[in-house]
Amino acid sequence: MSQRLNKPKRSAVFMDLGLLDYSRALDLQTQILQSKIDHPLSEDRILFVEHPSVFTLGKRGGEENLVISRNFLTAKRIDIVQTNRGGNITYHGPGQAVLYPIVNLEKNKIGVKEFVHGLEEIMKRTAMAFNIDADRNLKNHGIWVGNSKIGSVGISIKHGISFHGLALNINPDLEPFSWINPCGLSNISITSIEKERRKLNATEKLSDNDLSMDQIKDSFIKHFSSIFNYSIIKNNDSSKKTKKTKAVMA
Amino acid sequence: MKEMSDLNLPADVKYTKDHEWAKLSGDIVTIGINDYAQDQLGEVVFVELPEIGDTFSQGDEFGSVESVKAVSEIYIPISGEIVEINEGLEDAPELVNTDCYNDGWLIKVKPENTSEMDNLMDKPAYLDMLKG
Repeated sequence: MSQRLNKPKRSAVFMDLGLLDYSRALDLQTQILQSKIDHPLSEDRILFVEHPSVFTLGKRGGEENLVISRNFLTAKRIDIVQTNRGGNITYHGPGQAVLYPIVNLEKNKIGVKEFVHGLEEIMKRTAMAFNIDADRNLKNHGIWVGNSKIGSVGISIKHGISFHGLALNINPDLEPFSWINPCGLSNISITSIEKERRKLNATEKLSDNDLSMDQIKDSFIKHFSSIFNYSIIKNNDSSKKTKKTKAVMA
Repeated sequence: MKEMSDLNLPADVKYTKDHEWAKLSGDIVTIGINDYAQDQLGEVVFVELPEIGDTFSQGDEFGSVESVKAVSEIYIPISGEIVEINEGLEDAPELVNTDCYNDGWLIKVKPENTSEMDNLMDKPAYLDMLKG
């Protein structure tokens, strides 16, 4: 540990994409990834985003875990997108905080197993800051509150660089999760920070602080930074970094 | 993760920068991922391999290894045609973790040009790269 503290910090630029369509965010991830493959010294980037409602499939599918018809989703105007990340079917929607770290694991000597574990730890610590008893569960990866899943993880690695990432339920509409067997698991329920806080408020009369995406964003930055030993620059904090970022996005 | 000194890196295979290994026997090259790769991936749950007869150029992506919640691309160490894939991995992908140089091999390739093996690293060069 002391050895690690003596090492210079790794660094990454943090970009808040706001509410952005899944496919457009994936295009942006792919562009940044390709740019990092072509320029191995370029900075790591961490994207923070909420998606409009969408179902996504893992590399090995998961459509068999859709428990309603495609027509039902068409009527609701919700797309299903095939991806190349690990894991099975999942749902994204407004009120869910999504983090896509596009980081050079190879260069930074972060093992894949260690990285997945660390992403789970970010979600666990974020939920725990709201007094929620969140933890890992032997059933499956991701983060759980008892038998309810609150956060998921699924990444891809290309030439040692990660993309895709984690999704933590803050206050999304949880109904669409009932239309799938999330992550390919049946008989599990899905929860959110808001839902768990309501339970706590009912029993412990906790102060009802507003639950904002900005709080979650700050928590993700803080814990990513400490878990992976990163110094993280928000892209709107530095005009120089922003310019570079825009070049990639263009 | 394993310490450098604990890594099992045989001296009779060649290595790529993406941590695959390749071994030429007769006119066929056997390919897999090495001990460093399997260790840092964690438990392998699925291996996606090409079809027999597919052809690739050196460095092309030829499949992927899925460990828990992570899909990692794998790259072919030598140009050529796939002549055999390790079908045992379908039921026992964990062989990639437990025996990556023997029962956990991935593919066999009939190389276009065996001199491409010279572009790969021997054990000392690969270790230097890891330490780099």
